Amino acid sequence: MSDAMSRRERVVGLTSNLDTTLSAWFAVGVVLFLLQAGAVGTFFTGLIADFVGILPTADASGSLLASVTELFESLQRQSRSVPTLLSRDVVPNGGYWNGEEWVGTFLGLSPAVSWAIRVGLVYLYSLTWVAWAVFGYRYYRREIRVADWTPRDDMIDRFLSHKWGLFGAAIVFFFVVMAVFAPTLGPTTVEQNMRNSYAFEISYWNDQTQTVEQILVGEANLNSQSRGDLSRVMPMTYDEYGRFHPFGTMPNGRDLFTFIAAGSRISLVIGLLSVGVSALLAVSLALVAAYYKGRVDLGTVLISDGVMAMPQLLLLILLTTVLSESWVGNVYSGGFVLALIFAFTGWTYMWRSIRGPALQVSERAWIDAARSFGQRPRTIMRKHMLPYIIGYVLVYGSMTLGGAIIAISGLSFLGLGIAPPTPEWGRAINLGQDYVDTGSWHISLIPGALITLVVTGFNALGDGIRDAVDPQSDSESAAAGRGGGA
Amino acid sequence: MSRPAPTDRRATRGDEPLLSVRDLRTVFYTDKETIHAVDGISFDIYPGETVGLVGESGSGKSVTARSILGLVDEPGAIENGEIRFKNTELVKEGWDDRRGEIAIIFQDPSNALNPVYTIGNQIREALNIHQGLTGAAARERAIELLEAVGIPDAPRRVDEYPHQFSGGMAQRAVIAISLACDPDLLVCDEPTTALDVTIQAQILDLLTDLQQKEDLAILFITHDMGVIEETADRVNVIYAGEIVESAPTELLFSDPEHPYTTALLESIPGRTPPDEQLPTIEGEVPTPNGPSEACRFAPRCPLAVDECREKVPDTVSVDDRVEHSAACIFAGEEYGNRGEEL
Repeated sequence: MSDAMSRRERVVGLTSNLDTTLSAWFAVGVVLFLLQAGAVGTFFTGLIADFVGILPTADASGSLLASVTELFESLQRQSRSVPTLLSRDVVPNGGYWNGEEWVGTFLGLSPAVSWAIRVGLVYLYSLTWVAWAVFGYRYYRREIRVADWTPRDDMIDRFLSHKWGLFGAAIVFFFVVMAVFAPTLGPTTVEQNMRNSYAFEISYWNDQTQTVEQILVGEANLNSQSRGDLSRVMPMTYDEYGRFHPFGTMPNGRDLFTFIAAGSRISLVIGLLSVGVSALLAVSLALVAAYYKGRVDLGTVLISDGVMAMPQLLLLILLTTVLSESWVGNVYSGGFVLALIFAFTGWTYMWRSIRGPALQVSERAWIDAARSFGQRPRTIMRKHMLPYIIGYVLVYGSMTLGGAIIAISGLSFLGLGIAPPTPEWGRAINLGQDYVDTGSWHISLIPGALITLVVTGFNALGDGIRDAVDPQSDSESAAAGRGGGA
Repeated sequence: MSRPAPTDRRATRGDEPLLSVRDLRTVFYTDKETIHAVDGISFDIYPGETVGLVGESGSGKSVTARSILGLVDEPGAIENGEIRFKNTELVKEGWDDRRGEIAIIFQDPSNALNPVYTIGNQIREALNIHQGLTGAAARERAIELLEAVGIPDAPRRVDEYPHQFSGGMAQRAVIAISLACDPDLLVCDEPTTALDVTIQAQILDLLTDLQQKEDLAILFITHDMGVIEETADRVNVIYAGEIVESAPTELLFSDPEHPYTTALLESIPGRTPPDEQLPTIEGEVPTPNGPSEACRFAPRCPLAVDECREKVPDTVSVDDRVEHSAACIFAGEEYGNRGEEL
């Protein structure tokens, strides 16, 4: 008690000091945000414009939706003009050799070095955010919060001492940053390199004529294909047109790294959306079932058993085919429908896993106490039950996310799911499978290894969170809750 | 603890009972059988009165408490009976309009407090619902309540978490939460069982104080006859879902009518001479898994005769003036007579 008193006095004594630290912390956050504010604005206005534009009646000119779309597109153009630190324009790598020096690259460095600097900046920027958040949390815990200790502290400390979980968190961090900064990270863009490759022209140094010449990107791609032993552009090399390919090229001559970076974004979005929706369903049903018990519980068991009995893969193939012509089937190249199917067939597994903990917490006396003094059922579920199952949701959510990534890649590999030319990791594996035993082995190997690594990362993160939430669970023998593919 | 003689107390209160339970039956439907956990019990609680409900584990004490508060979950249900509280028939009309007017204190304070919220947060939750207080006003009232239940240094402790409270302090905090609802009836379900003896006495004193200050009626549920003797004005003895004897406390302790009550009293340490072994009641409470067809205590009763095993004993009034009644065929007879019948 005396310790707590002196602590409080110390806090009071340091109030002025505390204020400066806090405002410095906020200022750093604002500066970090402003560095990328333009990109954030572009992303969100673009997202809204795309979403509204996809709605059925948006095509008709003069309709309300069309004008809304127009509004957000103009907003997007404006926010695009806001300078951001981590844009391709600030650190360009798409230059050419004019016989004496590199033209159009960052400080005249080679494209490879320019690209590496940009990637380094992106990860440095992201790590700064992490450090900022960690410092803020530590500072809050040490100086601002009145309580010396709360039950959550133990969970976080346990996680921080869990090496396998930290490894997972690091992999997930690299993956998420790759997805978030996908357009910046690629040595070229999806638009220029894949979608409209015949609408862009690049300059290059022609060795034979010893002059700088122009060529369409599409034609350049045709001459930098990786097809077997003779014609190939391997990882970390330049092609004939002075373009640097960190992961080499694909059989159609496109840049594999750009493809994978863009694909990581679609995997993450579909994964998060499907896990988010299924977690929402699973949590609501688990809470309701655990709170009301009896017949309500039995009803949810029947529903989930019914859903589990549906063949998920067949349903996926059926629905993606049936919906491929409809407007909803085209949202996000079909990814939206995929995410919803994953969510509505996958929530049952998560529900099964969290129903037990939910039933357990519903037996605690504080639930009855809250009921006895007239708290509303919904508030009881949210305030007194949800905090006890949220940890399990994180565990299963993390593992299911890995499963969703495998499932999406698997479908794309089979030619289902995400419609070409939108990049997806599974399609890269599919494209490269003819060349696995040739000199162009990198096409299938790199995305395959990345999928394995990322899914392992998500599972490791899940393991770490589980051991942090529930210290009695034994990570060596526990086999619960592995994410599965479709 | 001094109080007026129970007879006087009941006589001066000519008013309506605060809570009136009539023929309450709470059953649990399991796959195998239907368990009649509470099997037709009736009792009254008058304003400002402390009524004890005493019985062994599994006798239906807690289910009675939960029934009164409307907390019976599936697969259980109140099958029959009336619970009338201030002219509201709760079984028919539902508890929603009366929430907070009946508050409950559970056995284990560490389980009754949600460990992820501060004590103040949990008191404010009840204050918000029942007194519409939020923000600084609620915080101030929470501190007052903590002071009222005797927690020292309340302004600081209001921001602490349940794990920072000792058992006794946590039970005080639980009482503060129930006071935040401004109740008229406090149901105490073994409130001192999880506490050690010195703390137990403090909590009992606190409850008595509060009862006088706030004019609370208390339903005190326990298996501890000693605690009942100290606190209750009236005692109902419950056995296998039925009330077997009901009497003013002093009368029940001095002149028990039901052999089960007698046996319970004999098993209190201190009533037996020091060199003798403490008597116990052989066997255990049967699970009431069907309608009663005989005296449920008969298998354990030292006085049981064939009649006890053949028909349900009526509840007979031993003394109308003090409302002393017992469900035993021998009730109202002198012990000497029973000896002769045996």
